[in-house]
Amino acid sequence: MNISKRLISGTDVDMITIEEKEANLSQSEHFKKLILQDIRQGSRKIIISFSNVEYVDSSFLGALVAILKELLPHNGKLVLIGLNDDIVNLFQLTRLDKIFILKNDLDAAIKEF
Amino acid sequence: MKNAFPISLILQIPKHPDEILSFTKSALAEIMKCKELDIDHQRRIKMILVELVTNSIKHSLNTDSQIKLIIDHPSLTIQKLEKGLQIEFTSSEQQIPFEEIDKTIKISFSKENKHHIQTLDKYKFKFLNPFAEGLDIEHMPEHFGLYIITLASDSFIYQYDPESKENRFTVNINT
Repeated sequence: MNISKRLISGTDVDMITIEEKEANLSQSEHFKKLILQDIRQGSRKIIISFSNVEYVDSSFLGALVAILKELLPHNGKLVLIGLNDDIVNLFQLTRLDKIFILKNDLDAAIKEF
Repeated sequence: MKNAFPISLILQIPKHPDEILSFTKSALAEIMKCKELDIDHQRRIKMILVELVTNSIKHSLNTDSQIKLIIDHPSLTIQKLEKGLQIEFTSSEQQIPFEEIDKTIKISFSKENKHHIQTLDKYKFKFLNPFAEGLDIEHMPEHFGLYIITLASDSFIYQYDPESKENRFTVNINT
């Protein structure tokens, strides 16, 4: 899966941007492995940007849940940004909007840490 | 000119995940040629199509899976038709063919994929609201496909025909 990663300057927050239009079955396992690996190597504050993503399927939602389950016991935090209306609607339908922190943009996300 | 309902369309399910988005968009466009839909219904239909097709690509070895759209007023029916073996539960007090009809039972397809269903006949059941017992992150599933279809639809029914060996997933949406 094509993603870009950077440390937000002046913080210990990792910013991950999904560089794909479709976050689906063909991407979810690889994405999960990449982020779980980061968490095992010490990453605790993570922002994931969906600004390039047109749709998310159930497999990718499952990957996000697995990431959050790994992060929370380490007192980590995950914030999701740049979700379009269809993706926000999917989070609301599945009630994952009550579990995940969803923010419009990077500035709002950084304030969560 | 008014459309003469119902209108039926058969669509071949794509074989690769990267074709799902274009398949979903073209299926929705076909539906909207026949009837107007608000944004909420469009979203729900897209979610259902994405998850039905994703489920097929994940689980079915059959190359002839089809989506059948029955566009009517005031409802839309989306059916996924697949030849093959019937659904089997990894954990349940009952399996298909059911012995007890009109009963709510808890089934699972894996450790993280549990559902409540209502048996409708020996070979037919309805998925029930997955949030009846509430959810928290500890018990949050990692498989959402069938949940999404159940929540986005007005009814979601599975049926197996033992003679034709056909699995039929029928989703109804009041439009």
